[in-house]
Amino acid sequence: MSVGKEKPQMATDEHRLGEGVGGTTRFLARGDLEKLVAELLGAGTRVVAPVDAGKGETEYRRLASFAEAKLGAALPRRSLKEFFLPPTEELFRWRREGEALQLLETPAAHVATVILGAFPCDAAAVQALDKVMGWDYRDDPWFGRREATTIVALACNGQDGSCFCTAVGLRPDAVRGADLLLAANGEGYEVQVLTPKGRALVDGHAARFGAGRDTGSANVIRAAARERVAKNLQATPEKIRGWLQANFEHPMWKGIALRCHGCGACAAVCPTCHCFDIVDEPEGLYEGARRRNWDTCQTPVFTLHASGHNPRPDQNARIRQRLNHKFRIYPERFGELLCTGCGRCARACPGGMDLPELLGALEKLAASAPAPAPAPGPAAGALIPPPGGAR
Amino acid sequence: MRDLQDLAAKLLTEKTVGLVIGWEAGPRGARPSFVTDPKDAGKLISDNRCVHNLAAYLSPRRPHLRGFGRIAVAVKGCDVRAVAGLLRETQLRREDVVLIGIRCGGVHDTPTGVGPLTADNLADRCVGCEVRDPARCDHVLGELPPSLPSRGGRRAARIAELEALDHAARFAFWREELSRCVRCNACRQVCPLCVCERCLADKTDPPWIESSPHPRANLAWHATRALHLAGRCVDCGECERACPAGIPLNLIGRKVAAVVERRFGYRTTDDPQVPAPIGAWKPEDGQEFIR
Amino acid sequence: MSEATTGIDATAGTFEPRIQAFVCNWCTYTGADLAGTSRIPMAPNVRIIRLPCTGRIDTLFILKAFERGADGVIVSGCHPNDCHYTAGNFHARRRFAVFRDLIDFLGIDPDRITFSWVSASEGKKWSEVVNDTTERIRRMGPFSAYHGLAGRTP
Repeated sequence: MSVGKEKPQMATDEHRLGEGVGGTTRFLARGDLEKLVAELLGAGTRVVAPVDAGKGETEYRRLASFAEAKLGAALPRRSLKEFFLPPTEELFRWRREGEALQLLETPAAHVATVILGAFPCDAAAVQALDKVMGWDYRDDPWFGRREATTIVALACNGQDGSCFCTAVGLRPDAVRGADLLLAANGEGYEVQVLTPKGRALVDGHAARFGAGRDTGSANVIRAAARERVAKNLQATPEKIRGWLQANFEHPMWKGIALRCHGCGACAAVCPTCHCFDIVDEPEGLYEGARRRNWDTCQTPVFTLHASGHNPRPDQNARIRQRLNHKFRIYPERFGELLCTGCGRCARACPGGMDLPELLGALEKLAASAPAPAPAPGPAAGALIPPPGGAR
Repeated sequence: MRDLQDLAAKLLTEKTVGLVIGWEAGPRGARPSFVTDPKDAGKLISDNRCVHNLAAYLSPRRPHLRGFGRIAVAVKGCDVRAVAGLLRETQLRREDVVLIGIRCGGVHDTPTGVGPLTADNLADRCVGCEVRDPARCDHVLGELPPSLPSRGGRRAARIAELEALDHAARFAFWREELSRCVRCNACRQVCPLCVCERCLADKTDPPWIESSPHPRANLAWHATRALHLAGRCVDCGECERACPAGIPLNLIGRKVAAVVERRFGYRTTDDPQVPAPIGAWKPEDGQEFIR
Repeated sequence: MSEATTGIDATAGTFEPRIQAFVCNWCTYTGADLAGTSRIPMAPNVRIIRLPCTGRIDTLFILKAFERGADGVIVSGCHPNDCHYTAGNFHARRRFAVFRDLIDFLGIDPDRITFSWVSASEGKKWSEVVNDTTERIRRMGPFSAYHGLAGRTP
């Protein structure tokens, strides 16, 4: 992306219904999908898909067999990010022998992985995070896993009233971040081939994929899903960004987080929250590991200084930060929103904080008090100076 | 419901309190509600979706709720035990809070629950409830509903199942459950009795509990958390409800409560004068495990 | 993992348990000292950390010992009514009792831990605690289930 003077374009999903890259649409019968998974597993590929997690919930987990997969059911409890940025990962180990200190590289073994039945909001989130992961420093573990992974998304029907992907430039059948997009159609799935990686998967198992069929009925389902989700929230992220930029000290922030416990469950389930902490942990007397772990701006210790001063003294300040990072700072810096509208934060919140509701309120504020136009480019509003121009 | 709204409006109008914490209908079922203007009191509700233990908001760890002056809070009978815990440990002064007790006919296992309660959707902690009529409150509202749906204790049954396993199998079970923990700290944050200004798990020098969410640190965290809540946990179930990984934390809490009751004859109470079992002792306490 | 962390002497193919003892300053430490000065034979597997009182022994110490490679733990202090600080051991006794039942529920065999009261005059008893614990842990084997909780991430 360019970080020059031009105005950042809010990323939108330009892909049209029923169209694949180069016009490629294939058909994958349900029986063939089962065989495809068996072939992948047989070849040692790790296959991840939503599986039952009890109480009507699902989680993305590694499959032992196709039978475990619950495609097109409930949105998994947590997003896909943990397959690219694990909750904890070892960066290297050290060992001391006498006076000598040895540093032991953690082998970068990224198993070939196919994520099957990814929700489009989760696939889009992974692509959004590529920006920050490759910005000033190329995050090798992240991109190592990215390269080893093929994401097969499945068009979503919309989950419930907390979905709002359509308000953040996506839709239930968005293709961003996906290598293939499946859309349920009768006895199988329409398959849109979106990337070379997706094409390689199709070509490598050509016998499984039939010629594309009439996508009419799939398109009807997809259009209905879009309409359903669009009813949940109408918002214009551009306007919200402008309002956030102009209203960092607005009085509404003082009461924004009354019900928030500061628990960080929202960040844990969020597909785009990606902050991490790095720690050294001794193991035994003579060795140890450096690890990086998920972290979240919702805890007091995230910003606590050694002096005891905390620049974000309470939960109101932390929620303001979360909204600003997602809807102002990241768009300013990287040209896209740090939110894909999955609604998990609202579903997970034990205190009833509701992001779509907050966005609706911000939209109203932005409409009623027209804010000055957003600053022209990243350079003006960015908190971090761009590292050496375009990339 | 109406009497709750009227009382909240009265308390705010007369400036007896600066904030009323109750429940309201949110976008996803019931949720905590914060009313400062008497005109907004009409949004307060009290029904079988009011799962949340609002005593959590009285914890001293919530600086953004200071500055409202005295707070009125709606509590179910079971929630009063959490308030009693805070009073017992001098984390709260009784005169700083107005307790609005709500007579309770049980709650759903989730705030998004719909319809009447059944044996199936009743929250685990409501089974065998003895405090449906709240005690020690400044006001008590509502009619006491006739009875609760009845069923066996699921958690006790699950605990018994686990206890029938050998150590290796039980260790494997918890290892698997705890491996899903991402250490988001939701369990700690929503707990009305987790009141430490600086949690042991947040201390980094030395890092007594490693911050990495690997099973080793997760075991240390959840074991330590359970111990620190021994005799203090009021079984509101908020930790398990908040857990984004679906870990059955209530099983650990219930097990510890059973141990505390068996060994020290202590049951969680809404009487703040009863001393906490950890911190007290008796010469005749059992020591069959000590050589 | 190195030999130092696992306690497994790979060359000899035998298992020597690593046992961590947490003892109070006033009774058990002095009792252990008496055992030493009395030249009572004892298994060399136990390393002692001295604390002011059993009341100061946070049960997290025990988990920490397992984390860092211990196969067994001894916790020992003054007999009831003998506490130098009057009631530290009474307080500790309640916490140990809950801890022991809790870890049992979490799948950790409480036999990995010996709790004892050893007075300053009980050098003999200390040696028995050490020898019995060492033998018991030797039979139980290395605590690899615990030590393997945080290995390399894939």
